Amino acid sequence: MTIDEIKNVVLEIIQDIDDEADLENLNPGEALRDQLDLDSMDFLDIVMELRKRYQIQIPEADYPQLATLDSCVNYLIPRLKAA
Amino acid sequence: MREYPLLIIGGGLSGLAAGIRFARFGQKVLILEKHSKAGGLNSYYYRKGRLLETGLHAITNYAPPEDKHAPLNRLLRQLKIPRRTLKLRQQHTSEILFPGRANLCFSNDFSLLQSQVAKRFPDSVKQFEKMLTGIDAYDAFTPRPKVSARKFVSTFLQDQLLVEMIFCPLMFYGGSDEDDMDLSQFVILFRSIFQEGFFRPEGTIKDLLGLLLQQYQDFGGEIEFSSGVKEILAVNNRISGIRTYAGEEISCDYLISTAGLPETRRLFTVPEAAATFSELPEDKTSGRLSFLESIYLFNKSARNQLPQDRTIIFYNLSGKFSYRRPDDAVDLNSGVICFPDNFEGSRQDDIIPLRVTHLANYEKWLHAYDDADKSRYTAMKTDWTERSREVVGKIIGNCSENIVYEDSFTPVTIERFTSRTQGAVYGSSEKIKDGTTNFENLYIAGTDQGYLGIVGALLSGVTMVNQHIFNRM
Repeated sequence: MTIDEIKNVVLEIIQDIDDEADLENLNPGEALRDQLDLDSMDFLDIVMELRKRYQIQIPEADYPQLATLDSCVNYLIPRLKAA
Repeated sequence: MREYPLLIIGGGLSGLAAGIRFARFGQKVLILEKHSKAGGLNSYYYRKGRLLETGLHAITNYAPPEDKHAPLNRLLRQLKIPRRTLKLRQQHTSEILFPGRANLCFSNDFSLLQSQVAKRFPDSVKQFEKMLTGIDAYDAFTPRPKVSARKFVSTFLQDQLLVEMIFCPLMFYGGSDEDDMDLSQFVILFRSIFQEGFFRPEGTIKDLLGLLLQQYQDFGGEIEFSSGVKEILAVNNRISGIRTYAGEEISCDYLISTAGLPETRRLFTVPEAAATFSELPEDKTSGRLSFLESIYLFNKSARNQLPQDRTIIFYNLSGKFSYRRPDDAVDLNSGVICFPDNFEGSRQDDIIPLRVTHLANYEKWLHAYDDADKSRYTAMKTDWTERSREVVGKIIGNCSENIVYEDSFTPVTIERFTSRTQGAVYGSSEKIKDGTTNFENLYIAGTDQGYLGIVGALLSGVTMVNQHIFNRM
């Protein structure tokens, strides 16, 4: 997957969790949780959805690396290279 | 042998929510429900061609759609049910009524209760506001030992009448302890009833259950009705599976029981396993609080006589509000009167439903019950329902001549249909707040985990799967 494809996957997952999420004005360098008004339960859904779709196991210790859209993509690049 | 990553005992709200959560991410899960339909404590039946609801009076925790962090909206996102597909009807006004002494009205606008307190208890206004600050600051979701809510409240409020009036609705809608409650439970109930408020979804409990079942099955979840669990099978401190009444053994990686604490303990037929599950004997964990609940249907002539702007009335006639198993079969000194049609935008039908709830004594009803000859039990039911009608008539107006149908449930009925021992709808006074047990793969969800009400039950199922299962898989 390319960087853009990965980005789209993440955005699509977020949209699926909260169909009213304002993705247009998302700042990719800022924390997703603050911008989207999501809580830890929603955040878990991103992890679970990635696991379901691509069988990627994301240990709890790595959750901070998913904080922003940019860091999410960076974290996923090596893991989704073959997807 | 059939094998499932997750088995769930009970197809009530918490079981369905746990199932939806687990199935949503593509995992195989089976719910075993003893009864022939879903719902558990919140169910329904048919009489005279009408659907009659049991359990549900109103749902607590109302929140507007834009309040994304409100329990209701968090829950709906977790279940992947879009909020805007649900038509929610808010209550009109509810009332805490201690006739001859005071009344307090409240609605989904919390400022109404605040202004009512200011009007009726002017000396307590500052104390009440201080208590609100205390409630706001309290983290009710971190497991900790029991703390008396009465002690907490009495550190703020001096006026005993106000204290009783605040406790009355909270106890009736979730109290599993006699005359007191755990502070966490108090805070959860205070927020969900007074600060958030009551609503009903459009339609009946059957529609809500249907929506949840559909969601569960759309995600691939499996459910079997009339399929009771007879035994939980344990090897050392792990659950290996269950055995059904039909004799089938089903193995599982994880088991969630929503049956309740004493009820789950009974499913360990090996004494050592039962002791591992809980050191507490059953009489220490069985809830003592049960109810007599009457359903009335009135013809439309009653419409002008019955209050139309009241959704729920919590009344108390005695000098001190008592929330405990009564000495008599029923305690008519207090009760809940619910008008299920008095929610905004409810359909104005030719038939007007009314629900009345009183505290009742399980033992007295059990003693009168004889499966071979129900005459004594039936006579007792008729007698108490009549007496209830008289008391309630004095509060809301006597419309006895307009009754077209009535039915009552006793603690014995509740026990039979919900499998809750002693008909204790709010479960054990001992709650397992983190849901864990001495078995490493067995979790408790629902009433005895301690989140209350319909939203609470659903959140309980969701939370157990999120916290204990997803992070271990």
